[in-house]
Amino acid sequence: MALWMQISSGSETPIYQQLVEQISGAIARGELRTGDKLPAVRALAAELVINPNTVARAYTLLEQSGLVTTKTGSGTFVSDPALRQVDAAQINTLAERMDTLISRAVNLGLDRSALMALFEKRLEKFAGTLDKGKAENG
Amino acid sequence: MAEIVLETKGLTKYYGAKPALDHLDLRVPRGCICGFLGRNGAGKTTAIKLMLGLLAPTAGSASLLGCDSTALTPAIRQRIGYVTEGHRLFRWMTIGRLEEFQKAFFPGQWDSRLFADMIEYFELSKKQKIKHLSNGQRAQVSLALALAPNPELLVMDDPTLGLDAAIRRQFLEGMIELITRQGRTVLFSSHILADVERVADRIVVIDKGVLRADCSLEQFRTSVRKVVVYFENSAPADIELAGLLHFRRSERQLELTLVGVGDAEVADWARQAGAGRFDFVEMNLEDQFIEFTAPAHRRRLFQWEKA
Repeated sequence: MALWMQISSGSETPIYQQLVEQISGAIARGELRTGDKLPAVRALAAELVINPNTVARAYTLLEQSGLVTTKTGSGTFVSDPALRQVDAAQINTLAERMDTLISRAVNLGLDRSALMALFEKRLEKFAGTLDKGKAENG
Repeated sequence: MAEIVLETKGLTKYYGAKPALDHLDLRVPRGCICGFLGRNGAGKTTAIKLMLGLLAPTAGSASLLGCDSTALTPAIRQRIGYVTEGHRLFRWMTIGRLEEFQKAFFPGQWDSRLFADMIEYFELSKKQKIKHLSNGQRAQVSLALALAPNPELLVMDDPTLGLDAAIRRQFLEGMIELITRQGRTVLFSSHILADVERVADRIVVIDKGVLRADCSLEQFRTSVRKVVVYFENSAPADIELAGLLHFRRSERQLELTLVGVGDAEVADWARQAGAGRFDFVEMNLEDQFIEFTAPAHRRRLFQWEKA
């Protein structure tokens, strides 16, 4: 399995959510690409020692957000970004989450330029995926 | 809902004048791993023994795989695995002899290969006597004995009590391995909430012999929550909010522990109470369990009230 995941039990974050975050993170960073196959539910459950229903729930959520598609009988695959449906509500949720981070930054005393610099630096991690999108669109 | 493989109806057990179990009504559907939670003395072991027909109920009934617990036939017992608290095994037997002994109760369904593989993996030998094994090794033998007959329903009473992290993980792996076979069900009691969270998809919570929760783990995780409410001046004296478990108060803050109260209800209440703002505090399963089973008017253990 190309995918490296770490589950922490006893965390405030439910396990299915940890899976969703790690898989969507791997897709965003380009570690998982269009057409890549996710491990089978039972195999991943056995490997991570977690309930198979938890894995299935995470896959369902990823599917609902359009990041993956399940083909009956053959498995779950990372979907083509061009085909992903993004609605206003998702953008809105994202904007609200950004507010949380921005208020933390403001409370830490960061000014606009320091915050922008930090943002740019963190974006480098996702350069492969972001710049690829730009090339295709342009 | 899936077929129910384990059910109790008004299950009650008195020891003397006190009920150890008081009208327990629970249902475990096929195909899940159910974590059976409760503090020490809550009645978990009593409930498990009643379910397996090892104790007679004072009132009510339990049934496993559709068969009343007081009348389990050998054919039904053959489909059920049971791991006792403390892994009590015949001390004078060797591991091999114990396997032969157990195998006789499960004709035609004993997986000798799986048993041998597990014993080898645990770096044990069938020639070793039970009495010469450590607690952890005895638990490992007990796990192999529980999985070898490929039980349809596996009931384990605090199987990881006192075991090290590596052996505890082997028990969790064993449960996951069993559940990935079609139609298998596991009920296990434990005090290690992080383990329960890992493998369980349902939980049953009992407290002082009374059922407190019987739901999916996710439902419990989203239902029990803590919210801190901030007030401009002073926090109100009276709190009327359905679903309030308990609260802590400071000058301009209220910390409420709630069960089954939605975001909108919290927002409504906060507005009516004249609160400035409120924040939900994320909790892990252990914190949720402690809050959920805490007495309504509890004091903290190391807290002396100033007169």
